[in-house]
Amino acid sequence: MRLLIDIAVAIVIAATIGLGTAWYAVDHGTPFNALTIGAWTAYPLSGSPDADPYSIARLARTGEVPLGAGEGLAFTSENDSDGVPLAGNCTYAVAGQMLTARLWTLTAYGADGRLMATPAGRYSLDSREVVRRPDGSTDIAVSSAVQPGNWLPVAPLAHFKLMLRLYDTPVTIGGRAADLIMPSILRGRCH
Amino acid sequence: MIFAFGGLLLAGVIHIAVVFLVPYYSTRDAWARLSSLGADRQFHLLPLAAPGAEPLDSLDPHMLHAVCRFSLASDPVRIVATLPDDFWSIAVFDRRGRNVYSLDDRSAERSALDLEIITPVQMARLRQNPPASLDTAIVVELPIDEGFAVLRVFVGGGSVVARATEALQTANCSGAL
Repeated sequence: MRLLIDIAVAIVIAATIGLGTAWYAVDHGTPFNALTIGAWTAYPLSGSPDADPYSIARLARTGEVPLGAGEGLAFTSENDSDGVPLAGNCTYAVAGQMLTARLWTLTAYGADGRLMATPAGRYSLDSREVVRRPDGSTDIAVSSAVQPGNWLPVAPLAHFKLMLRLYDTPVTIGGRAADLIMPSILRGRCH
Repeated sequence: MIFAFGGLLLAGVIHIAVVFLVPYYSTRDAWARLSSLGADRQFHLLPLAAPGAEPLDSLDPHMLHAVCRFSLASDPVRIVATLPDDFWSIAVFDRRGRNVYSLDDRSAERSALDLEIITPVQMARLRQNPPASLDTAIVVELPIDEGFAVLRVFVGGGSVVARATEALQTANCSGAL
């Protein structure tokens, strides 16, 4: 009898740990083979046939349709260049040179990964709308308050993330990260 | 002690089994979500992504999307579309949502898309009696039974949505060569 109870307890603990860690790794883990440039991270393999089993399980759970290698590459950032999480009550400057791409779009998402309703009615920008500096670099203000120049409105929520999608870009997993430049995310005033 | 060790070992086995089995039992994957849009082998236009109304997770709100689900069990799929001169791309995914092929307008070097998705077995059969259209179409051999294609057309802030909508509504995803 004692033996049976021991076995049952072991099985219950095993199932809890096994299921719990699997759930956590799939829903909250980060895919393998990350490409990190400054504050930005992309997972070029996460939607490909070479994806790791966790990425494939995550795709099945989210129903996401990732960008193919022949379409472009999506970078996300949850932190500014100092590593502090992006907060809706601060103003940020997304500034600097961008990787080569024929077209890019910058979109703000809530911490849950969904689009945010903003008072301005906009939550994204693309390279056609943005006014560049004479040297070709960009300077975009990300803020919940109205900004002059290039402005990406966000909701005054606790936290948000940015997604920068580069379309028709030569960057692949084979590129040397040291050669790749992405804009920095500089925190300005917070209120 | 032996139970603690055995329990941990079993936990590891369960962890691995669950991660590998999730894709086979998920009812929320892209394939399942697309079934609610309508019939297979035809393009369905997705509404532009907006807060609280995202047809699929993480779609670019500056792109208009059309999706077509298909099975290659009986016939290959031929995708024919006349698309705007601006950026567009097409991606083909397998049943599990893994991207197996993708192409953008620059690589296609044309605005009229003619893409044939075919299994290696069907291709071998087709080569015995090749139709004339085989020379002009982009032929993609993929060892998949089922999958879906996603067409993306850049619409920017929204001024060209009408033109892109028209192009995607006439996109065809049915016929063989």
